[in-house]
Amino acid sequence: MVKGAYKAVVIGGSAGSFSVVSKLLSQLREDFPLPVIICLHRLKHVRSGLVESIRLKSKLEVIEPNDKEPIKGGKVYLAPSNYHMFIEYDGTFSLSTEEPLNHSRPSIDHTLSSAAYVYRNKLIGIVLTGANKDGAKGMKDIADKRGHTIIQDPKTCEMDTMPKSVARLIKPNEVLTPEGIVKFLNQLAL
Amino acid sequence: MDFKHYLQVLKENTPYDFSNYSDNSIKRRLQKVIADNDLTIDELLEKTQNDKGFIERLVEDITVNTTELFRDPELWPAFYEKLLPMLKGKKTFNIWHAGCSSGMEVYSNMILLNELGLLEKARIFATDISANMVRQCKNGSYRYGFNKMQLTDFKAVLRKYPLNGISAIDFSKYFEIDEASDRITVKEFLREKVDVRQHDLVQSNPPFYHKFDIIFCRNVLIYFNANLQSKVYQMFHKQLYPKGAMILGNHESLTGFYNTKFNKNGPVYTKSNSFHFKYH
Repeated sequence: MVKGAYKAVVIGGSAGSFSVVSKLLSQLREDFPLPVIICLHRLKHVRSGLVESIRLKSKLEVIEPNDKEPIKGGKVYLAPSNYHMFIEYDGTFSLSTEEPLNHSRPSIDHTLSSAAYVYRNKLIGIVLTGANKDGAKGMKDIADKRGHTIIQDPKTCEMDTMPKSVARLIKPNEVLTPEGIVKFLNQLAL
Repeated sequence: MDFKHYLQVLKENTPYDFSNYSDNSIKRRLQKVIADNDLTIDELLEKTQNDKGFIERLVEDITVNTTELFRDPELWPAFYEKLLPMLKGKKTFNIWHAGCSSGMEVYSNMILLNELGLLEKARIFATDISANMVRQCKNGSYRYGFNKMQLTDFKAVLRKYPLNGISAIDFSKYFEIDEASDRITVKEFLREKVDVRQHDLVQSNPPFYHKFDIIFCRNVLIYFNANLQSKVYQMFHKQLYPKGAMILGNHESLTGFYNTKFNKNGPVYTKSNSFHFKYH
């Protein structure tokens, strides 16, 4: 892996993805240099404590960003509840409360597609377990810009609809188990 | 399509200026309007120059009108705990909901003020850029199914964090609920108390001569670029009484110069008249 080949990692997940994300963040190296931008579907009416739980597991700082907050390497960013999260050309986040996409706010497609336009071939896009097809179009945008696409191996998914909808639109660069994803990301930091 | 060019045409032919909205967001909204209406660029330009009804619908569609009764339920007790001492000491006070959308937050706030015994002393103003949202805010009638859960959520929050001793609210005092037709309608004594006007925050002139004790502007300025945000903060600062409060959305933060002109205390930004150098 060439140092500097990538500028950001963007991850989408839905049903079953909380435990996978927890595992990834607990095993990701402390000196992981890239921003890790995560969009997970969450239940609106449950004060889930999602960010608090993820913080407990993560070695990197976990932030639910504010609108126009600058994106920094070595931090984990989680889309806040009830907002769409976009990446802007000036290296900041923007948030929006516009209508749900794929019945979801935050929508994984919005986050992934905006990241694809900004980071182009220097982006790693990962779609984890989930029970719907949000994220598939975003992954296609990443592939179109020649970013690196990874789906969680459907055999290891609690719900395999989400990675399978990605695989119907594109041929992902990698199909990896959660352990495989950790290994892939950690070698980037070497 | 060249969005900047289109926004220029819109600005020259209508009262609306979106040229300082943040680029990607306005582009996305326009793309949606074009797709939803199945328009070519030429048709869009033609309608923009000649069809006033279309412009009003366009403004409504471009702007984001997401709102809920008691949106962010945990916010309300946290917010009023900070402000109650200030409000209780006043004979009357003025509140402005800037970018009020269909008014759900306006009425949520009035319900809390009434429960706190403060509604009599309050003068409530609400503004929105969209004529249709102004109508909806005046009507105060919403889909019940959409709001049922919000009321339940807020009840749960109050049980957990009572506000000034209030741990439950009887919503039948404030709403007529018609489940068969899926309507929840705010009662007249609340509706007649709000002064709702059409106003565009891009116009730097405030729509009122008097000053305010509280300005709500939640999830509105996130669609503006930093320049325009700064202008609006300047207007809010000018329109607030000393120690007046500003409430933004849960994931909005004040940055740049105007950050030095407000003190942040939990979810409340309080106007500060002293200038201090904490620029960041």
